[in-house]
Amino acid sequence: MNTDHFWRYTLLGTFFTVLAFAIVAQMVRIQLDPTQAAHFREQKERYDGEWRTIYPARGEVYDRWGHLLAGNTSVYQIGVELGEVSNPHTIALTLNVVLGLDYATVFKAASQDASPTAVYAVLDDYVPQEKIDRLEQFRQDIEKTYQSSRKEDKPSLNGLVYIPHLQRSYPENDLASNLLGFVSREGEGYFGIEAKFNQVLAGVPQRIWAPRDPNRVEEVPTVPPAASLVLTIDREIQSHIEDILDDAVEDNGADSGTILVLDPKTGDILAMATTPRLNLNEYWRYGEVFKGATPFNRAVSQAYEPGSVFKVLTMASALDKGAVTPETTFLDTGVFEIGGTFIYNWNSGAWGPQDMQGCMQHSLNVCLAWIASQLGTKDFYTYMRAFGIGHLTGIDLGGENPGRLKVPGDEDWYDADLGTNSFGQGVAVTPLQLAVAASAIANDGKMMAPRIVRSLVDKGQQFDTEPRVMGVPISVKTADTLSEMLARSLEEEASDALVEGYRVAGKTGTAEIPTPYGYSTSATNASFLGWGPVDDPQFFVYIWLEKPTSSMWGSIVAAPVFKTVVEELVVLMNIPPDNVRQQISSR
Amino acid sequence: MDSVRSLTQAYSQAPWRKQLKFIVLFLLIVVFAALIAGIYLDVTARAATIGREIQLMQRDIEALKLVNADLETRLAFLLSSGQMAERARKLGFEPIERDQMVFVVVEGYPGRQQPVLAPAPVPVKVVAAALPANFTESLLDWVQQDVIPQVKQMLEVRR
Repeated sequence: MNTDHFWRYTLLGTFFTVLAFAIVAQMVRIQLDPTQAAHFREQKERYDGEWRTIYPARGEVYDRWGHLLAGNTSVYQIGVELGEVSNPHTIALTLNVVLGLDYATVFKAASQDASPTAVYAVLDDYVPQEKIDRLEQFRQDIEKTYQSSRKEDKPSLNGLVYIPHLQRSYPENDLASNLLGFVSREGEGYFGIEAKFNQVLAGVPQRIWAPRDPNRVEEVPTVPPAASLVLTIDREIQSHIEDILDDAVEDNGADSGTILVLDPKTGDILAMATTPRLNLNEYWRYGEVFKGATPFNRAVSQAYEPGSVFKVLTMASALDKGAVTPETTFLDTGVFEIGGTFIYNWNSGAWGPQDMQGCMQHSLNVCLAWIASQLGTKDFYTYMRAFGIGHLTGIDLGGENPGRLKVPGDEDWYDADLGTNSFGQGVAVTPLQLAVAASAIANDGKMMAPRIVRSLVDKGQQFDTEPRVMGVPISVKTADTLSEMLARSLEEEASDALVEGYRVAGKTGTAEIPTPYGYSTSATNASFLGWGPVDDPQFFVYIWLEKPTSSMWGSIVAAPVFKTVVEELVVLMNIPPDNVRQQISSR
Repeated sequence: MDSVRSLTQAYSQAPWRKQLKFIVLFLLIVVFAALIAGIYLDVTARAATIGREIQLMQRDIEALKLVNADLETRLAFLLSSGQMAERARKLGFEPIERDQMVFVVVEGYPGRQQPVLAPAPVPVKVVAAALPANFTESLLDWVQQDVIPQVKQMLEVRR
């Protein structure tokens, strides 16, 4: 080897050796220095990829025929990529014009310099598609107009971005709002189905690691969609019932109203209408619509003293126990003493000798108090418990109220309560509770559990719920006997509840309202419960109008509403008149 | 003859020839390395492009899911109870009254059927284990049950 070049090779070799040692030394130093190591780890994590949480779309809610009652719609978050903004003035001005945002606030946010800790600023959220379309139109117009301009401060929407996400949407607006409930922007369900099934409808979010390096791209795991629900509600029936209720409340000057329609054979809730109702797409108006302590769904959340409609339970119990028969005669002297309290009739009159049908037809408090005394305290309350009075029905809706049934042994129960309870005073029930109890009379004595969810659709499979018998408080014979008595009562009374061509059974109720100073005589709760056709019941209807001003009597206020409801139901449910139905079935 | 040998020796020992051999060898290595690097680069670039396409497709899927949900709800708005009633009224339809209804018996018509949004869960069938004997028998079993009978059969055939 040429000695002249030797020193050069030596120098080169030394340089690379030192360089190699320096690299190794630096690696060791970084490894040993926790601050350095953490810094590089942080750098790696920042630029390597990102953790993303994938939320499944909230499950949908359908009516019994598959009409969408609650779905999801795309809305947008509007923000600025700070590093991309070239003209904050244009962005602020455009958002002020299109979205009505404050110019100064947007300008300040969009004028920020991008930094490692600030790269994106949120300007607005939940912006609908129509507004985004307008913004896009603005963007195109600006780009077209200033395409050839070379000015640095030329108008531009560069940096303005829209990020889509889903928001709960209710295509039917306020239809069935009281039983659906709503979902807040945070994704939390409030009231009704949305609250009761919040977890099921929300699904299970998944957190995934999304690498930025395309060479390391991995398959995004499929997030199973959240479960959807099919309700027992019939959209058309619900819609018509709500219209009827609104008219009834307005025409009678009532404070509020509730109408329930059930299928007594299955316990399916076909319609559940109450006032007030909320447009669920504007749920933030909740405070305006539900003032004070107004319950979201009176049908399940508001307990009240039902009055005479409760008599059907007393009579059913007495007939079933054999304490009375339809032919049993009672001499009504206009007053009955029980537990030191005197019971009077609604008109304070004496009605003379009455059979049991007469007692129901004329709604005689004195007679029912006597019947309860014949039945006995123990049996009366045993039957009431069997009818589910004072207990939750277990319906799949949030906020159910159990009502209140005082029983012997309670501190506030007195002997007189047996008498007053017999005609629906001193006992608090929800409309649903009483409807479920009384629907046993329309279903051969079998009390069906109220069903609001017909099916659950999860992971591509539909799981149907089955009708469930809650109890059998009375026998078939008792149910048939009482149905016949109540049908005849309406017919002999020529009640406003009667519907031509269809035989119905029912009972009116007019209840005084308890106040801290005793019962109010000026305001009442007017109710009606009934079902039909009597020989093959297909619907059970419960009506409650709170404090009507047109008349205080259930027979005048609530009975005609029942008739209107039934007239709509027979059309919507394709129920032929009794004679046609009997002809068809006799073929 | 000697002169030819000395010329050949001189040619083979010429410094420029050794340099040429070295350069050719070096170039061969460089070309080979470049070839490998080129192939590697091509494959990596294609993988990166496909990876990027996958990322974009994943975003498209997310976006389409949103669009799908949105369209479904928009359709529901158009078919909502109030909208349908309004459209029916505009088309001249009127709600039917109870006494206008005519009932016709249609043999075999099952009535309005409730929709099925998804199939009902299929009950899980417990199937008895049906593994072939190959997976369960021992070597000894195999010799006894398969090999020995075949050998016997062959011997009988030869006789």
